[in-house]
Amino acid sequence: MVVPRSPYLALGLGAALVAVLALAGGRLSGPDLAAKLESRAAAVIAKTGGAPVRAHFATARGSPSRHPVLAGGERLDVGTRDRVARAVAAIPGVGGIRWSDGTALAQGAATPVEPLHCQEDVEALLRSRTIRFEEGSARIDAASRELVDEVASALRPCLGSIIAITGHTDASGPEPGNLALSRERAEAVEAALVARGIPADGLRTSGLGSRTPVKGLEATDPANRRIEFSVIATQPIRPTPVDTPGPR
Amino acid sequence: MPIWLELLVLMLVAYAAGLAIGWSIWGRGATGDDAHG
Repeated sequence: MVVPRSPYLALGLGAALVAVLALAGGRLSGPDLAAKLESRAAAVIAKTGGAPVRAHFATARGSPSRHPVLAGGERLDVGTRDRVARAVAAIPGVGGIRWSDGTALAQGAATPVEPLHCQEDVEALLRSRTIRFEEGSARIDAASRELVDEVASALRPCLGSIIAITGHTDASGPEPGNLALSRERAEAVEAALVARGIPADGLRTSGLGSRTPVKGLEATDPANRRIEFSVIATQPIRPTPVDTPGPR
Repeated sequence: MPIWLELLVLMLVAYAAGLAIGWSIWGRGATGDDAHG
């Protein structure tokens, strides 16, 4: 056996031998290990109810890895994504989890926008109280001004979404008059909201007269006189290229 | 990180640790003997 004279040469040869053994061992055992982890992950994902999710135990270049990329969970809610990710991470031997559509977190890359909570907040306000108008008029009653303030506050987080304001009346009186009055009342509410800082271009008004009474009520029931709010489009605020700092 | 790379890093770290332990046990003794020899 050749004995190197220089200790540094010996060290270098030793390191090279270790590297060769590591590479050979990795190449031989890697695919098998990744396949076993994938089958275990598939079983665990099915168990946690994350059916469309698949775990790929490979790097971007296709080398076997113990750090999975989870794909197919774009339509799942945050709770399910979190459960699936934790279950896969709990498998012995699995490293860091990453979602294909986002970060290591349960959320996807896009910031979740939930404009419908504004609609729910407004509906909750109007469940027990009504925006009142003067008799046969589109002028908002003074007693309802506080309620309009609260509605404006509830809608403020939804700036960027399109909000529909729909006026309804009961069936008393001629329908053309009801249509016109319901539309005017919706416009009055729109004007009141604009005066309270809600941008006009995010509001759409319409009047339906007595066409759509409240379910379970007679068309002539005065409780049909109401203003309804709904979010009809979502426009999440996204950063423009100007917002993103460029290289110095 | 691919599995082969993780294995490479682990084994090189183990190699370096083994060298360090070996040097601390036998290396100083040899240096001491040489100094007195």
